[in-house]
Amino acid sequence: RIIPTSASKLPVRDCSHVLGNLKFCLLILNQPFNKGHFHCLWSKATLRACADGGANRLYHITEGSQHSFLPDYISGDFDSIRPEVEEYYKLKGCEFIENKDQDFTDFTKCLQILQKKIEKNGLQIDAIVALGGLGGRFDQIMASVETLFHATSITPFPVIVIQECSLIYLLQPGKHKLHVDTGLEGEWCGLIPIGNACDCVTTTGLKWNLTNHVLKFGTLVSTSNTYDNSGIVTIETDKPLLWTMAIKE
Amino acid sequence: RIIPTSASKLPVRDCSHVLATLRACADGGANRLYHITEGSQHSFLPDYISGDFDSIRPEVEEYYKLKGCEFIENKDQDFTDFTKCLQILQKKIEKNGLQIDAIVALGGLGGRFDQIMASVETLFHATSITPFPVIVIQECSLIYLLQPGKHKLHVDTGLEGEWCGLIPIGNACDCVTTTGLKWNLTNHVLKFGTLVSTSNTYDNSGIVTIETDKPLLWTMAIKE
Repeated sequence: RIIPTSASKLPVRDCSHVLGNLKFCLLILNQPFNKGHFHCLWSKATLRACADGGANRLYHITEGSQHSFLPDYISGDFDSIRPEVEEYYKLKGCEFIENKDQDFTDFTKCLQILQKKIEKNGLQIDAIVALGGLGGRFDQIMASVETLFHATSITPFPVIVIQECSLIYLLQPGKHKLHVDTGLEGEWCGLIPIGNACDCVTTTGLKWNLTNHVLKFGTLVSTSNTYDNSGIVTIETDKPLLWTMAIKE
Repeated sequence: RIIPTSASKLPVRDCSHVLATLRACADGGANRLYHITEGSQHSFLPDYISGDFDSIRPEVEEYYKLKGCEFIENKDQDFTDFTKCLQILQKKIEKNGLQIDAIVALGGLGGRFDQIMASVETLFHATSITPFPVIVIQECSLIYLLQPGKHKLHVDTGLEGEWCGLIPIGNACDCVTTTGLKWNLTNHVLKFGTLVSTSNTYDNSGIVTIETDKPLLWTMAIKE
């Protein structure tokens, strides 16, 4: 069930309903991720790609049935993909797109290629979902967040990152309305002023709301927040602000 | 083995030498301690357990209470359990006149994304709570918040992993200069959406220097 809002489309994921309507591309990143999310997302994705070592993760999680889970392409500088994994997917005819640019992460580069393919093939999609990227190496978690900052200049589609019980989504300045009553939401949520302070944030629908409040590391960061019973959260922010929430595994 | 440096003490952990002077759990940290010491919990008793106690499991609370561990309750919802634990720790350090070089927090960099961010937030508050460096470690990752100024880190102890990074997590840093990294910076901006240093590594000098005009998060791999 997709509920577009005026300033922001945040796809609301309901594995039995939404994925029937939601059109999205799936990017697999180089971090361990949850089988449940994987199968749900893979089966409904319009296009599926791996960012370098994400191919190792895919190969591993589909052990015994790799042939049924072939990505449309694998991109990156290929310093993480294992030789036997590379060999397997090459043998199966998967497209390999090399990009050795060290100024961008594998995730960012994968997103750039994805946007080109979306345009080239005229794909109708609503969002891009990246699986992995929020656990393991701390610098890689931060690299995932950095990619979200660059995403707005790469693609017009919302980019969401999911791993295990966490989801992150970068809210651009403006008003946002999120429907949080699909049944897939976990208990906690938060607003993280990553990268910059937000001088004026107003929310509704949270247990601890903000009214024209500053969010800033060292001053106030909203973590372990949760919802009131309205089923809707609105967030107005003057600067980019990272929304994070629990999703059921 | 602690190696003090001029502007910043980054303790380098050598497991054969370093001993914890004081050990505490922040709320649900007690569950983790109880679990990881299964069978020998009596040999691993914390000096205190603090927080709002909404995470600690009843059987864990009962066990440590029975063993005489100090429970210090703080229901303040404006601060994380980690921050509150740090406040209490500083009081105890002062009260007992403990000579220490650093505070190491175990956990806090994995699992719930909002909790990872809460750990970082605590590092920002730490400077007004305690004069000691506060380091957070989990699995292969370490983080440490560098205050404005010059820092020198010794990275040749053998405990370092390959990667490191500089993360302008709460604010842009307008002027960062480094030496000792594979990809160094010279008076460079670090800012989300512009440049964040991740997957960096070391040259062979064994020393990294970082000069920053604003708080900047250092992160590095440590061997497990």
